Amino acid sequence: MEGINVISILSLSLVITSIAVIEFRNLKYSAYAYCLQAILMCSIFFIFARENHNLYWWLATAFITKVILIPTFLLRYIQKTEVMEIKPPLGYLPSIVISCVIMIFFYKMTHTHADFIAPNPEAMQEPFRTNLAVSFTIFALGLYCILIRRDAIKTVHGLCILENSVHLSLVSLAPKLAETAIIGIVTDVVIAVFLLLYVIHGIYKEFGSTDTYQLKNLRW
Amino acid sequence: MPEVISSYCILIFLVPALTSLLILIAGKVPSVSRLLAFIGMSITFIMTSIVFFESQTKILTALNNQLRIDSLSGLLNGLIGLIGLIVMLYSFPYLKLEKDKGIIQEKKIRSFYWQTMLFIGTMLVAVSTNNIILLWVIIEATTLGSALLVAFYWNKNALEAGYKYLMLLTVGISFALFGCVIIYSGVASHVVNGDPLQITTLSSVVKQGMIAGNIILLSAVFFIVGFGTKAGIAPFHAWLPDAHAEAPTPISALLSGVMIKVGIYALIRTVAMFYSIYATISLFVTILGIFTMLVGVFMMFFQENLKRFLAYSSINHVGYIVMGFGLAGSASSSASDAINNGAYLGMYGALFHMINHGIIKSLLFLCAGAIVYATGIRKIDELGGLSNKMPVTGFCFFVGSFAICGVPLLNGFMSKFTLFLAGAAIPGMLWTTIIAIISSIMALALYMHVAYRIFMGPMPEDIKKLDIKEVPVSMWFGMLVLSFICFVLGIFPQLVYPILDKATHVVLALIAKGSL
Repeated sequence: MEGINVISILSLSLVITSIAVIEFRNLKYSAYAYCLQAILMCSIFFIFARENHNLYWWLATAFITKVILIPTFLLRYIQKTEVMEIKPPLGYLPSIVISCVIMIFFYKMTHTHADFIAPNPEAMQEPFRTNLAVSFTIFALGLYCILIRRDAIKTVHGLCILENSVHLSLVSLAPKLAETAIIGIVTDVVIAVFLLLYVIHGIYKEFGSTDTYQLKNLRW
Repeated sequence: MPEVISSYCILIFLVPALTSLLILIAGKVPSVSRLLAFIGMSITFIMTSIVFFESQTKILTALNNQLRIDSLSGLLNGLIGLIGLIVMLYSFPYLKLEKDKGIIQEKKIRSFYWQTMLFIGTMLVAVSTNNIILLWVIIEATTLGSALLVAFYWNKNALEAGYKYLMLLTVGISFALFGCVIIYSGVASHVVNGDPLQITTLSSVVKQGMIAGNIILLSAVFFIVGFGTKAGIAPFHAWLPDAHAEAPTPISALLSGVMIKVGIYALIRTVAMFYSIYATISLFVTILGIFTMLVGVFMMFFQENLKRFLAYSSINHVGYIVMGFGLAGSASSSASDAINNGAYLGMYGALFHMINHGIIKSLLFLCAGAIVYATGIRKIDELGGLSNKMPVTGFCFFVGSFAICGVPLLNGFMSKFTLFLAGAAIPGMLWTTIIAIISSIMALALYMHVAYRIFMGPMPEDIKKLDIKEVPVSMWFGMLVLSFICFVLGIFPQLVYPILDKATHVVLALIAKGSL
């Protein structure tokens, strides 16, 4: 396949942008980093689509939703709440170190043992192998962001990168998926992000903050 | 069973979806939105009933087998239609009172009805689809359709519950999408004729042993985490007590009575096909079921809020259902008759309990709503002596409490007893029966304490000052209907035998090795 190296480089860039999304303390910058990640993803879709025209559907829906809609929603609600993230429990340096450890561990593990997670022989070959490893790595980073951060909007950023990881695996492993399924999957994500931000805005108005540590009325 | 193309497969979700749209457009006046919701839900109920009965003799399909209703799907359709109608009737006076008391604004009534109709519509598609990606999309859509209903009151607690509900379920369900992608990708290259996205095609290929074991394990784990989160299986259950307790009571009844069953349905449809390849998966599911059962009953001890108490009880009962589904994995062509009987009983009991729990828990939530409606109090300790003031609600609550704990002559007993027998019939699984019996006894003690306290215990001074009356007919009528069903299914369990037997065989066919 043409552009295998380009796809691998773009795919690896997704990991770097994921770390940027997680580690920027300014939520606007995180949203921009997410937008950049979405553009990189669309570039991967474009390269794949040149060989498999069905993927132009993916490209179009991903561009509209990931590059335009989700960053717009994020920026709009960040403007309505706080631009700076609520101070996370981990400091800047430890958080970056943990992100990097997760990145290296998951990438190394999934790339080396791709035979365990690759559902077919084709997925063992490049660039699918790298994509699959990147997909699992971003998934882990997204989960890390959701679990460790106390700012509700930051957790939505985490959810967005987690969803990107699943969509990357979809394009790599199920490129012939019907366009209705693609639109259904992506629409669900956009609505989920919008509803989450809508509820978080309500939380901000009620609690005066987007700090998830304050959401403990219902614990136990 | 013959397959026939039926427009009902499409109509069952088109009607609630169009009703939802109509309410959104023309339901500004509460009475209009109520009327539209009533008409839409009544038609939906009639259609789901037709689908339920038709699915006993044939498989209904539409859109090139993308929608496929067999007896298992038909059973769930029937349950959603019945509970949906009762909940809708119940919600009319409930919301009116909340509006009169100033708890909600008038404009919220329209939101409630269009979202509820949409929610019911999405659940009906979820149990009717044969496409694994569509199943995922719709299961997520049920979350999105109900999220604002969970946060309906828009106060601190409701917003917290809404945030957790959306975040935890969306993250959880992402695992299931990973599972869908991996299994689809593994199967696609082996499919010559047919659509690899269709669950029937997928399971056929998987059961022929064409897929590598690691891919099966990986997919099974992703499905269990993903759809298990939706079903409220511990330890992925954190969203459930908050959502059930903070949503308006009619929605709590829908969430507990129906929505978690949709999650269990998705789990059954996707995980059962792996059982014949890896028996360990069924053991893992059984252990998860037992763990869920214990977490639920243990947490019930600490609850002061009545709705939260019922929510943890739902987790406890999800445990029973999942345990039965796990035990069903013992069935195979090489197993002895005793084991296969145990597996049959496990699945039969799981499906019977799924239906029974749907009915009983809806009944209990509606009773809880009636108590809140009449007193405005949710805390168990602040309630007492209501039996004289609310005799119908008291009767229904006791029926529900006895039924859910498995007291003989009520439906819960029959399904629980079937599950106990299943564990005892399978060699080495007696421990599941012992734990399940202990859990039932603990739950009985807790329920009796709560029911006695609320209805027979001394009436607190604060309540004496209130003018407490029985709830309106449109509220208690549905409760009485559900109580009546509890007795009928408890005394005449053979009435549902042919229906459950067919649904059980659908699942056992999914489990059995070889092509469908």
